[in-house]
Amino acid sequence: MMSETDLRENEVKILSALKDANGSLDASEIVSKENLSHAAVMRAALSLESKNLIRIIEWKVRRVFLTEEGRLYAEIGLPERRLAQALVKMGGEAYIDDVLNVASIKNSASAIALGWLNRKGWGQIEKKTHKVKLLKKLEEGADERLLRLLKKKDTLSIEDLGDEMKKAANILRKRRLVEIQEKTRRRLELTSKGWRLVEKGVKVTREVSQITPELIITGKWREVKLRRYNIKASVAPIWPGKKHPYMRFLDDLKQKLVALGFKEMTSPIVEISFFNCDGLYMPQDHPAREVHDMYFIKEPKYGDLSCYKRYLENVRRTHENGWETGSKGWRYSFSSLEAARLMLRSQTTAASARMLINEDLEIPGKYFAIARCFRPDVIDKTHLTEFNQVEGIILGEDLGLKDLLGVLKKFAIEVAGADKVKYRPDYFPFTEPSVELVAYKKGYGWMEFGGSGIFRPEVTLPLGIKVPVLAWGLGVDRLFMMKMGIDDIRYLFTHDLEWIRRAEVV
Amino acid sequence: MPTIEVNREDLESLLGTSLPDDIEELNDLLAYVKGEVRSIDQKETRIELKDSNRADIWSVEGLARALRGFLGLEKGLKEYVSVGKSGVEVYVDPHLRNVRPYIGCAVVKNVKLTDAAIRQIMRFQDKMDQTYGRNRRRTSIGLYEFDLVKPPLRFTLAEPDKVSFIPLDFNEELTLREILEKHPKGIEYGYIIRQFPKWPIFIDSADKVLSFPPIINSNDLGRITERTRNVLIEVTGTSYQTVMDTVTNVTVSLADRGGTIHSAEIHYPYSGMNDDVTPKLDTEMMVLEVPYIQRFIGLKLDVSEIVSLLEKARYGVAGSSNKRITVQIPCYRVDVLHPIDIVEDIAISYDYNRIPDEWPQLTTIGRLSDETIFRDHLREIMVGLGFQEVLTYIMSNPETLFTKMNLKLSRVVELANPKIASMTCLRNWLLPSLMELLSYNTHVTYPQRVFEIGYCVVHDETYENKTKDIEKLACVNIHSNANFTEVKAQLDALLLNLGIKYYLEETNHGSFIDGRVGKIIAEENDLGIIGEIHPQVLQNWELENPASAFEISVDILRKIKSKH
Repeated sequence: MMSETDLRENEVKILSALKDANGSLDASEIVSKENLSHAAVMRAALSLESKNLIRIIEWKVRRVFLTEEGRLYAEIGLPERRLAQALVKMGGEAYIDDVLNVASIKNSASAIALGWLNRKGWGQIEKKTHKVKLLKKLEEGADERLLRLLKKKDTLSIEDLGDEMKKAANILRKRRLVEIQEKTRRRLELTSKGWRLVEKGVKVTREVSQITPELIITGKWREVKLRRYNIKASVAPIWPGKKHPYMRFLDDLKQKLVALGFKEMTSPIVEISFFNCDGLYMPQDHPAREVHDMYFIKEPKYGDLSCYKRYLENVRRTHENGWETGSKGWRYSFSSLEAARLMLRSQTTAASARMLINEDLEIPGKYFAIARCFRPDVIDKTHLTEFNQVEGIILGEDLGLKDLLGVLKKFAIEVAGADKVKYRPDYFPFTEPSVELVAYKKGYGWMEFGGSGIFRPEVTLPLGIKVPVLAWGLGVDRLFMMKMGIDDIRYLFTHDLEWIRRAEVV
Repeated sequence: MPTIEVNREDLESLLGTSLPDDIEELNDLLAYVKGEVRSIDQKETRIELKDSNRADIWSVEGLARALRGFLGLEKGLKEYVSVGKSGVEVYVDPHLRNVRPYIGCAVVKNVKLTDAAIRQIMRFQDKMDQTYGRNRRRTSIGLYEFDLVKPPLRFTLAEPDKVSFIPLDFNEELTLREILEKHPKGIEYGYIIRQFPKWPIFIDSADKVLSFPPIINSNDLGRITERTRNVLIEVTGTSYQTVMDTVTNVTVSLADRGGTIHSAEIHYPYSGMNDDVTPKLDTEMMVLEVPYIQRFIGLKLDVSEIVSLLEKARYGVAGSSNKRITVQIPCYRVDVLHPIDIVEDIAISYDYNRIPDEWPQLTTIGRLSDETIFRDHLREIMVGLGFQEVLTYIMSNPETLFTKMNLKLSRVVELANPKIASMTCLRNWLLPSLMELLSYNTHVTYPQRVFEIGYCVVHDETYENKTKDIEKLACVNIHSNANFTEVKAQLDALLLNLGIKYYLEETNHGSFIDGRVGKIIAEENDLGIIGEIHPQVLQNWELENPASAFEISVDILRKIKSKH
């Protein structure tokens, strides 16, 4: 399969250089010979190695270099050498201060000069007399020889030095006059397969990576070699534009609800308590109406209920004494002002309450809303202070509990893909009876999936509705988390762009 | 929803049978009273009860009473009667009318109280005070060693510094004011009465203080022990009905421990308010139409079956025909407001899971809202332009909306009770939400292109809710070469695909670079703003790449489209 035309330009250059050098060269030699960058040589070498044409031999070398101070001393001599030479001039013995002066050794280096003079056994310091005396003939030490060599050659390989010089290199390193660096050297050698190829002769074809319009138009693409790519190599990632995974999930849900005959309804974010609470028969001192369960608006505090006077009056009387609903009522004094209090929608049921008095309301009718709701919860793994709720209503003559159960079952199967369902009695202030749906899904077990009920007569009659209204809400957040395999609800509003980008489209 | 703790042994002795060990079986039984086990340890079982109106089952006695019906151990109405007067008379001070106007009392004699029973009674009292009594604002309960009390009693007002007594769990006498300052209950509940010049006290004929409602009982008279045989119950509050319901429920719970009930007389000095006798133990009647029951449940139940389901749920039946049933509601079922409440109990007795479910055959046509349909068109184009859709919070704060965006503060819709500092108001524009999101993603590969269609809220007096929701679309490009040309090309593409013509008008905006920002005018509407983000804004969000963005009103776009 292998043929010379598969070689790139640089690979051919290396093979030719190796052939000329009897099959073996240092990588650095090729760099200078062929005038290529080191990276280019190594890239080509690796490719040749993968084709089994050369082998790359790697080893480490330690090289010794002069430091700036070392270079200075290589020039003017080590301080102890200069001190000793001054002593020779001064007759072999002199006061310390004088000899330092003559040798022009600065105060900062005096201790080093005297110390090494002593250590090398060249001289002796007499502390009492403050004199220094020469002891023996001064021979050039290995350290001085190394400095001299380095001055000439710039750098030497440690491995090339004799034992004595190796020791000297270490001492000089401690004196910070030289430094030792470790470098990797690479040698390229032709393999026998490589030899066979170069002896046959190698030649280069012009290779093209990117096809240009020019090549296509001129027909020159026929004459060039289109480089084979390593199609297995990984490429830099790109990220498509896409819908947010949770929004996509809600889109699908909306489609399913529409398919089941539901119309979408809307309601405002800043809601009047009347629609969020009073109209839903929540007494005004209900614990869920306190500041820890609802957000209220600072200013203005109250909305305008003047166009709902009739409903407000019906609701007031229903709370106080049951009005015409057949109920005893909550039996307290209702405040119309409290009913006008502005708050952030805390449940999507507010949209249902508004729908019941909407002039476009149809009977029979099915409606749903997906709405942002707000509650003053601390945000953690299982709580959000801002979240979406999916709720809806079904109105029709003669609807009853059996229909409510049927609706829940339909949702469990159509929306959650549940295998079987169980109903449990539940409680909401605005529905009676109330039912909780528990759905079983293979691999997930039983889970609470939604709450529902039939609106109390205290809710429907004051708003002028005379037919039963089935109301339902679905625990969609949990369903989404299950689908995405996440256990932290904060991912619904995550800031983590990486997670959103990587989230699978399901 | 309330959660109660019950001592299993105590519950079983009241039930007269043992409970299932299997937690699912136990839950199936508790489902009849809308209960679910939260946790079980050796002695205590914590049960969550969903119904926040059925105060009768928040006591272990009441729970046992209800469950005995469903277990088939006892059926039908359980009646409670007062065997006579207790001799307790309470005289109410006229000035209490504006402070804490109502009181109800009862005496239960010859109760047998074990240590476990006392703990259960205390818990019931606590639960009633917190939930039904709205943290003692609406009602609060006091229990006393009746034998130590010398009637007649007075429910009156006292000056905070003039009356003192030893409060429960203390050794020394404190004045009322000192109780509010020093006693844990005074610190916790003092807010209920602090604003009044005089505070409520409950005293006997020997001027001994029984309690300081709704704060604390006396340590001498207001302590129930295993030796207590005769208990005086007192409930004070601001709602007559709730006070009565509470007295009734505490009384029947104690009576279930083998006691006999004795009534008290309350003398009210208020005009229009007659003297009263408590506790109220009358059985109420409610007439249920049989077809109404059948229609609501969706089952052709016959009368005899309905009667037996009612009795299982501990209702009585005073009379029945094929058309209607006269139901007797036990005195403790204070939650029953409407016949529908009884219908639900019939359905629960029958078991929801036995009702054949049916998808209602109603001819309705489903439809997405116009807003959703239009929004989806925009999202499709934005995604096609390479933008990642993101989802952010509508709640925000002025620093994010203005300061970090290099703008002067202006009026926003603020919350009266913010919970956290980063969420004190509603956003009035969308771009800051996107900038904030980008600021968390400086380690993520660029280019980044994000968009969101989301709601913003502004003040508007002309609306009934004094605010207007504005749906907006904002997008940001951020990468080393992001610039005006890129974002303008994107805006061109978006509006071209919507068939909307527009032009840009030079403008100034603190969040954008001068000379690289424009007001977007589409068919004479101010649609929004487009430009390169100001380097100061980038720095404020600790972003190191240039960014370009636009923000437009989806509502105005939709309005323009609907005119076409």
